[in-house]
Amino acid sequence: MSDPIIRAQNVDVFYADKQALFGVDLKIEEKQVTSLIGPSGCGKSTFLRAINRMNDLIPICRFRGSLKIDGQDVYAPAVDVVSLRAQVGMVFQKPNPFPKSIRENVAYGLKIHRLTSSKSELDGRIEHSLKSAGLWDEVADRLDEPGTSLSGGQQQRLCIARTIAVEPRVILMDEPCSALDPIATAVIEELIDKLRRDFTIVIVTHSMQQAARISQRTAFFHLGKLVEVGSTKQVFTNPVEERTQNYITGRIG
Amino acid sequence: MIDFTKSAGFNLAARHRAETRFQWMGKGAILLALAFLAWLIVTIAVGGYGATKLVQIAIPVDLSATNIDPNNIAAARFGKIVKLGLRTRFPEVKKRKDKKKLYNLLSTEASFELKRAILADPKLLGGTRKIWFTASDTLSLYVRGKTNVSVPEDQRRISDKEIAWAADMQKNAEIRTVFNWGFFTHGDSREPEIAGILAALIGTALSLAVCFLLSFPLGIAAATYLEQFAPANRLSDIIEVNINNLAAVPSIVFGLLGLSIFLGYFGLPRSSPLVGGMVLSLMTLPTIIIASRASLKSVPPSIKEAALALGATPVQAVFHHVFPVALPGMLTGAIIGMARALGDTAPLLMIGMVAFIVDIPKSILAPATALPVQIFLWSDSPERGFMEKTSAAIVVLLIFLIAMNLIAILLRRKLEQRF
Repeated sequence: MSDPIIRAQNVDVFYADKQALFGVDLKIEEKQVTSLIGPSGCGKSTFLRAINRMNDLIPICRFRGSLKIDGQDVYAPAVDVVSLRAQVGMVFQKPNPFPKSIRENVAYGLKIHRLTSSKSELDGRIEHSLKSAGLWDEVADRLDEPGTSLSGGQQQRLCIARTIAVEPRVILMDEPCSALDPIATAVIEELIDKLRRDFTIVIVTHSMQQAARISQRTAFFHLGKLVEVGSTKQVFTNPVEERTQNYITGRIG
Repeated sequence: MIDFTKSAGFNLAARHRAETRFQWMGKGAILLALAFLAWLIVTIAVGGYGATKLVQIAIPVDLSATNIDPNNIAAARFGKIVKLGLRTRFPEVKKRKDKKKLYNLLSTEASFELKRAILADPKLLGGTRKIWFTASDTLSLYVRGKTNVSVPEDQRRISDKEIAWAADMQKNAEIRTVFNWGFFTHGDSREPEIAGILAALIGTALSLAVCFLLSFPLGIAAATYLEQFAPANRLSDIIEVNINNLAAVPSIVFGLLGLSIFLGYFGLPRSSPLVGGMVLSLMTLPTIIIASRASLKSVPPSIKEAALALGATPVQAVFHHVFPVALPGMLTGAIIGMARALGDTAPLLMIGMVAFIVDIPKSILAPATALPVQIFLWSDSPERGFMEKTSAAIVVLLIFLIAMNLIAILLRRKLEQRF
C-alpha cells in the first residue's frame, strides 16, 4: 500500500459546546475513491468539510487534532485557505452552478487563479474539463447559455467540470447524487469511477449501494466516531465491528 | 350510498358561508381603496386641468419711433406702451379709478412680454400692432367660467365694468385660451398666471441626483459589509437595530440634523440642492441599506459556498457571484427610497429650500426649491389661480413618482438573473 495522501489523526470538531467528531483517525489513499457512510448526524459531512476547511465559514466551529494532506498540516497557521481550496476541490449535495454561462462556470476557477495565459489555452482547458466531466457532447454548441438552464444531472456534472478545471489533488463530494434521479446518478457514478485515475476522491453518501459500487475504501462513522475503515469489499461483506454490521444490514440508521 | 354533496353534513353550509363572506369582505376592501384612489386622482386632475390653460388678450400697441427708439430698444418704457394700448382700445375710459381697473385686465408680466416679443422680432417696430398678452388671473378665471357672477359686485374680484370690457373683447375675438407652456418653463412668481414649476422641478432633480450619488454607493457598501463580512456579534446587532430605527425616524428630524451639521457646522450654502440632497440621503440611507441587505440575504448561500470551495477569496465570492444576483433588488430598494425622498417636504423646509425661487437653479450650490415644497407654498397662497397650480404640480409630482416606480420595475425585470 502506498503512502496515504490524507492523514487525519485524533480529529475532534466542535460546534460551540457540542462535539461532532471524536478522535477520528483516518488515512485516505491517493487516486482512489473513499466513501464515508453512516447515519444522519454521524459527522461524516463534518469530517469532509474539515478537509478543505469549509467549516471555517461557521464561526462557532472549532477543530482540534491533526489533518495532513501530502504531509502538509491543513490547520497550520501559515496555510492560506484559498490555496488549500484551489487544490482540494468540492462538489456539493445540491448542484450549485453560478448563475452565469456554462463557459464562465468552468472558466471561473481558472480565471481567479490565473491558471491560463491566453484565450485559446482557456478555451482548451474548458473543453478538456467538460470532456472529462462527460458533458462536452451535450453542451458544446451552447456554452454561452446559463448553467442553470441544464438539467439537474447536467448541472452536477458542470459543477464537477468546474472543480476539475483547476486540477485539484483531491475532490471532496458531499452526497453529490442525493438530488438526482437514478439515471443521472448512474451517469455521475460512472464519471466518478473514471475520475479516480487522475484524482483522489472522498465522497459522502447515504446510499450504501453507491458506496459499494464506486468506492475502493469505505469508512463507517457513527455518533461522531470512526467505527471502521477498510476496503469496501471487506466492510460490506465481512465487517469487523458489530455496529457496522447492524448499519449495513439496516438495523441502525 | 355515500354522499359527497353539500348535504353530507360536516357543518358544510356554515363553512361555505364563512368562506363567501370573507371573500366578499376582501373584495369590498379593495374596491373601497380603489374608489378612494380614483376619487383622489380625478379631483386633482380636474383641479389641475385649469393650470394648463392660459388666457390671452390682444391689444393694439403703438410701436412707432415716438414710443420706442429702434436703436435703443431696452430704454423704452414697455409698461407705459401697453397701458397706452389698452386706453386706445377702450377710449371711453377716462376716470383714474376706471383706468386702474382697465390695467387690471393684464398680467404684470405684459410689459416683459412686449419687450421679449420686440427683441425676438424687431420687424414689429414702426407702427401699431396687435399683440397677444397674458391676461390677469382675475380675468382669466372669469373667462374660463370659474367666477361666480351671480353674487353682488362687491363680493367678487371682477367688477361689472371689467366684465363688460371682457364681453366687448370676446365679441371681437380679442380673447383666446391657449395651452400654458409657461407652467413648464417658468420659475415661481407672485402672479399665478405666470408661475411655473420648472425651478422647483430642476431643484428636485438636482437634489435627487445628489441624494442618489451619495446614498446608493454608501448604502450598498454598508449593506454588503454588514450582510456578508461583518462578524455576527453584539455590535453588529446594535448596528442593525439602529439602522431599522433610523428608517422609522420622522424626516423632519433629519432636516434638523442637516440644519445644525451641514449648514451650522460646515457652513454649506443654505437652500441649495447640495444640502437638500445630503439631507434626503440621510433619510434614504436606512431604506437602501435594509432593502439591499434583504436582497443580499435572498441570494442562495450555495452560490457563495461554491465560489469559496473553488478557492475564491471572500471578497471575490461576494463581488463576482453574490453581488450581481443581488444588484437588481438593491437598485429597486434605492429607487423606492428615492421616490420617498422625492415626495418629502419637511427636511427641506428645515434647510431653507422653502425660499421663493424665480430663477432656474444653475448648479447644486444655487438657491433652489423642490416640487413638494412648491406645492406646499402654492397651497398656502390666497389667489384662486394658485389652487389650480397646486393641483397641477401635484399631478406632475405623481407622474414623477409613477415614472420612478416604473423604472424600478423595469430595471428589476431586465437585470434579474435566474438561478
